[in-house]
Amino acid sequence: MLTSLYVEGDTFLHRQRPGAKLALILVLGLALYLTERMAVQAVAMAITGAIYFSLPMTFREALYRLKPVLFTIAVLGLINIWLLSPQEAAVSTLRLLAVVFLAAAVTATTRIADFMETITWALQPAERLGIVRAADVSLALGLVLRFLPDIFAHYEGLKQAHAARGIAFRPVRAIGPLIILALKDADAIADAIDARGIRGR
Amino acid sequence: MDIRFSDCSVKFKTHVALHPFSLTLSERRIGIIGLNGSGKTTFAKLIDGLVKPTSGTVTVNGLDTVKDAKAVLTVAGFIFQNPAQQLIMPQVMEDIVFGLKAHGLKPAEAEARALAALARFGIEALGPRRVHELSGGELQLAAIASVSATGPDILIFDEPVNQLDLRNRRRVVDAIHALSENAIVISHDLPLIEDFDRVLVFHEGRIVFDGLPAAAIAYYREIAGC
Repeated sequence: MLTSLYVEGDTFLHRQRPGAKLALILVLGLALYLTERMAVQAVAMAITGAIYFSLPMTFREALYRLKPVLFTIAVLGLINIWLLSPQEAAVSTLRLLAVVFLAAAVTATTRIADFMETITWALQPAERLGIVRAADVSLALGLVLRFLPDIFAHYEGLKQAHAARGIAFRPVRAIGPLIILALKDADAIADAIDARGIRGR
Repeated sequence: MDIRFSDCSVKFKTHVALHPFSLTLSERRIGIIGLNGSGKTTFAKLIDGLVKPTSGTVTVNGLDTVKDAKAVLTVAGFIFQNPAQQLIMPQVMEDIVFGLKAHGLKPAEAEARALAALARFGIEALGPRRVHELSGGELQLAAIASVSATGPDILIFDEPVNQLDLRNRRRVVDAIHALSENAIVISHDLPLIEDFDRVLVFHEGRIVFDGLPAAAIAYYREIAGC
């Protein structure tokens, strides 16, 4: 079972500052969107993929974490083949994979608390202009990362509930119950945040 | 502890969750019992300001739960039925530190206070553990440590030993009994509250009994028909 998006370890990526890692995602994303060369996209994907799959977790877990996003990228790829040329579809798919692998690697090597501190710091100028409350934005991001494994747990629970009743499980059937469970969780978590006096300070 | 309800009621759309009542609570250990849906949790959430009264007022140590909502949260802490949902950070220590920093403590001070909170409940080993890996009893103790670390005068528990095995139940019960803070405990586990100072029995949105535990439990059994 996926219990946390953070993976304990002491890799090169673990030791880098969260701000630098987030900046790297931004730079790579922008750079890849400036070129249409398939070779560049393929090399970028190979490098980020190698970084992600070399992190201290099993290949199976690494793949499991990305299952929903890889599924989405595959669907997008198929749509692109239909709408564009196979060459363009391949470039776009490789580009997405490169960015996703890097983002997943950064997520797996950065503690949520560090993420939140960095986001809060980065948003200080926007807070001074009265655009956002930096602490609220970082809390929202932190909550997504913290409770994402709970959504996976609910999904697994639904699968098992289907199996226990001898009903064939189809992922699309889980969407409704998952949304309801997530909303119920969100209610309880919001209450807890209010009770702990965390928000709006 | 000084909690006062004055002509207080709670209504959710057309459903009356709590009929008008007035009450003062000052005892160190107060139990709340009643059937499911009788208004116990709504009552407890009124104290923390998580539910606002539809009519009347609630004050906690002189603070109004509507006008002084933020200040009330520093006086009264709430431990939820599912503590996993109130531990926001992935690791126990991180969570306690996060809560303390949100209350304005500097990182070093927050860490020292968090370590002291873990030590207070004898759960230092849980500090680096991931919330998802903890058992039900460990989760409860971590939540108690996390909430009490901020120094509230009152701790409110919503069914703290629900679904715990005997060993974990014992650990949580011992922790509650040893608290120096005032405690208000909603429980279906009647032995937990049998040596409390005062017990309220809720039924269909009303406080139908208010007195000593033995008589309250007998009254509750009568309502439940067992």
